[in-house]
Amino acid sequence: MRIGIPKEITPLERRVACTPRIAKRLCQSGFEVWIEQGAGADAEHLDEVYVESGAQIIEDPRRIWSECDIVLKVNPPGVHPTLNYHEADLLREGACLIGFIWPAQNEDLLRRLTARNATVIAMDCVPRITRAQTMDALSAMAHAAGYRAVIEAANAYPRFFAGQSTAAGKVHPAKVLVIGAGVAGLAAIGAAKGLGAIVRAFDTRPEVGEQIRSMGAEFLELSFDEESEGAGGYAKTMSKEFIEAEMKLFAQQAMDTNIIITTALIPGKPAPKLITAGMVESMREGAVIVDLASQQGGNCTLTEPGEVVVHHGVQIIGYTDLPSRMAIQTSWLYASVIANMIDEMGGAEDFKIDLENEIVRGALVAHAGEITWPPPQVKPVTPAPQVQSETWTEGGAQESKSKQSIFRRHAGLFWLAFAGLAIFLVGWRAPESFLSHLTVFVLACFVGWQVVWNVTPALHTPLMSVTNAISGIILIGGMFHLSGALSEPATILGIIAVFIAAINVSGGFLVTRRMLAMFRK
Amino acid sequence: MSPNLITVAYIIAAALFILGLSGLANPETARRGNLFSVIGMIIAFLATAAGIASSGYVELAASLIPAIIIGAVLAARVKMTNMPQLVALLHSFVGAAAVLVGFATWLDPGAHLEGVEGVERLIHDIEIYIGIGIGAITFTGSVIAFAKLDGRLSGKPLLLPARHFLNLAVVVVTIVLGVIFTRTQEHNTALLVLSIATLLTGFLGAHMVMAIGGADMPVVVSMLNSYSGWAAAAAGFMLANDLLIVTGALVGSSGAILSLIMCRGMNRSFANVLLGGFGTTGGTVVEIDGEHTPIDINETVEILKHAKKIVVVPGYGMAVARAQHSLARVVEILRKSGADVTFAIHPVAGRLPGHMNVLLAEANVPYDIVLEIDEVNSELKNTDVVLVIGANDIVNPSALEDPNSPIAGMPVLEVWDAEVTIVMKRSLATGYVGIPNPLFFRDNSRMLFGDAGDNVDAILQRIVGS
Repeated sequence: MRIGIPKEITPLERRVACTPRIAKRLCQSGFEVWIEQGAGADAEHLDEVYVESGAQIIEDPRRIWSECDIVLKVNPPGVHPTLNYHEADLLREGACLIGFIWPAQNEDLLRRLTARNATVIAMDCVPRITRAQTMDALSAMAHAAGYRAVIEAANAYPRFFAGQSTAAGKVHPAKVLVIGAGVAGLAAIGAAKGLGAIVRAFDTRPEVGEQIRSMGAEFLELSFDEESEGAGGYAKTMSKEFIEAEMKLFAQQAMDTNIIITTALIPGKPAPKLITAGMVESMREGAVIVDLASQQGGNCTLTEPGEVVVHHGVQIIGYTDLPSRMAIQTSWLYASVIANMIDEMGGAEDFKIDLENEIVRGALVAHAGEITWPPPQVKPVTPAPQVQSETWTEGGAQESKSKQSIFRRHAGLFWLAFAGLAIFLVGWRAPESFLSHLTVFVLACFVGWQVVWNVTPALHTPLMSVTNAISGIILIGGMFHLSGALSEPATILGIIAVFIAAINVSGGFLVTRRMLAMFRK
Repeated sequence: MSPNLITVAYIIAAALFILGLSGLANPETARRGNLFSVIGMIIAFLATAAGIASSGYVELAASLIPAIIIGAVLAARVKMTNMPQLVALLHSFVGAAAVLVGFATWLDPGAHLEGVEGVERLIHDIEIYIGIGIGAITFTGSVIAFAKLDGRLSGKPLLLPARHFLNLAVVVVTIVLGVIFTRTQEHNTALLVLSIATLLTGFLGAHMVMAIGGADMPVVVSMLNSYSGWAAAAAGFMLANDLLIVTGALVGSSGAILSLIMCRGMNRSFANVLLGGFGTTGGTVVEIDGEHTPIDINETVEILKHAKKIVVVPGYGMAVARAQHSLARVVEILRKSGADVTFAIHPVAGRLPGHMNVLLAEANVPYDIVLEIDEVNSELKNTDVVLVIGANDIVNPSALEDPNSPIAGMPVLEVWDAEVTIVMKRSLATGYVGIPNPLFFRDNSRMLFGDAGDNVDAILQRIVGS
């Protein structure tokens, strides 16, 4: 089978749908690879290198469109700027097109493609399931965009990112706010953190808080009970109250942060407006906003797609080609993802459209003359909501739950009541001396609990041996019985107890010492 | 020495013990922490010695000096790979001492309990009874754990029929005997009842540990560590000695935390481990079909030499093969030639909490390249080569991918995310849990069969030679 890769025709696009490394992979698996002359030039991939990896260079893009079985693209097909034809119209009857299609925005394109009986795999429609992770082009691009956003911000930002101590005085680190912790947001957090900034992040989905914290950023939370994860793990539109609380938070943060990176998108809708002109004006001098949602209208009201706007001393960067600004990297990522998709569809030997395959079916937007988009509903992959939140919202519907689950939910309470009762009984009957010992005991348990949690896991073995040694303190108990006559059983028992406990003390301490001496940096 | 001075000495000793434990938060302060504990112990001992009647000194010296020498010899001679056995053995000593102190206290109640009757007497009797019971469980449990770890007993769980019922029956009988013990006025009856109860609880301890398999030993040893603490605390209650209570409580909670950490490391509840018998509790095992890719030493050396980022995952197999020294040399050479090599330690790797760390420290591996599971998992995607040495279940992808697997949900090292994973193993046999490991059949996995010790030595030779 023949795979063709035309040069991208979209302005500012530097990526290419296949790099030499992936071309080699495709050739090895049995494909013939045709690539348009200069297709990889903007991504620094020269034609010679493609030839070395086994591809053929084709001068006329029209041949690629009309003679290949599979055409790989980054952007949706469009009208060629100089040769004046629509790429989709040239596609060979019944051929396969793989690339970003954005079917919701490009209905006309979809119709053109179905007219050619084309099989169209939209990389932007690959379902978000675990098995499809290696085919997730959107995540790969978003990751690059998030990273690049920070680099663009750092470039535009007229100060240090990391805190510095210079001869002239101390410089505080930049404060970065990341709005929306999807793939792009998390990548931005990682990059900003890596440059030494103080990073805070906000997301409407409270369950991503853990991911934000794991990247080393502070998670800004609103105390609000609202389910915000829609189908497929994307965010959804929130209620009016929530948005008000959210805007208040952003207004506060704007005054305190130097850099804001917004990544908030809702599938199929214009980007939510989160940063108002007022907030921009309240930001510190030299501040930078990078709006990753600019193509969908921007999260900031002042964003101009593709432009840098300066308002009140604040630079608002609305580049729409961030992944393309790292073309070598993103071309490779994108090409790998495509190659994975081709493998998923059977590779060179067994390339076919399997409608039973969840991933292929999800991405398939046109096939055999029909529009097959949107695909039949995929089951949402979100974990079941926690029992607790259900209890508050649905109250009455819960009564059918079994008694056991009620016990489970309140197990802590039962134990507390039990402990309370036991303590009460002890306090009621036991003598004072016992109570004073009990006080010491309980406090010591708590002290031990707090202290031992701080022990580093690497030292758990020394911890065991040292606690072993100090539990040999029981030799004191034996010592109390030594004063009697030697013939008395208690004295003999005491002697033996002291003997074995002392082995423990000396053995435990010495072996701990030996182990600790080994730990070196 | 006046009682007040002794009390003050005990307060100092208790504070020193707490400082000693908190020193273990960091390897740099740990040595000083150990010293604090030693000083605390000496202060406590001197104060107590000064407090008892002078007539006991000869006996004290006679029992103490040989014991200290024996302990020192044990500590100096033990191999680091045998540390789990030693720790278990030392636990059994605390248990035995607790039993002996309990009996001695009962036979010779001491001045502070002369003529004490009523509730106080009852509480005292209960304290003795519980103290001896915990001591006996600790003693026999630790002896069995020692025997299993030392290979004198099979590591396989011994599952008697109706064992839960048996345990329950023993507990019930012990409680009934306890009631008889506190009610009876007859000295000999009480002694008999106490002795029977000691045997019963001793049986309970032995039986409980017998039913637990080899790889659950980290939990068992931690649990016995905890018990030895509670035994000391119980002795403190019966002797009305606050220092024993404080120390016992510290040790007890320390052991409890370790058990908890180990259980989390296996995603199992404490009860699940104690009730024993992995694999008996259900979970269907998916058969794996697929090809594994074997490689030889030369290929392994080639792969290692060209890798920029390497993660080494040691398991119990490394300890058994005593491969840590050669491995440390290999890692040192690779690091000198510019590779970024780190170790990844799963919390339940080995037979003792922190076992792998001690072995690596013994082999002079700097502790700052020995990382924990959370620090490593996110890095594995960017790793060129993972070298798995004698580990199996802790790198089993079924834990994350197969909800029916017995180890489903257990945190594992996600080594398959790396570019290449080299698994050093004797065969394709299953690990302790008894389930096959799909990792071996992944496209990016390479199997290096043979004894881990011999293989690492061979790798070392090639690397030094080249």
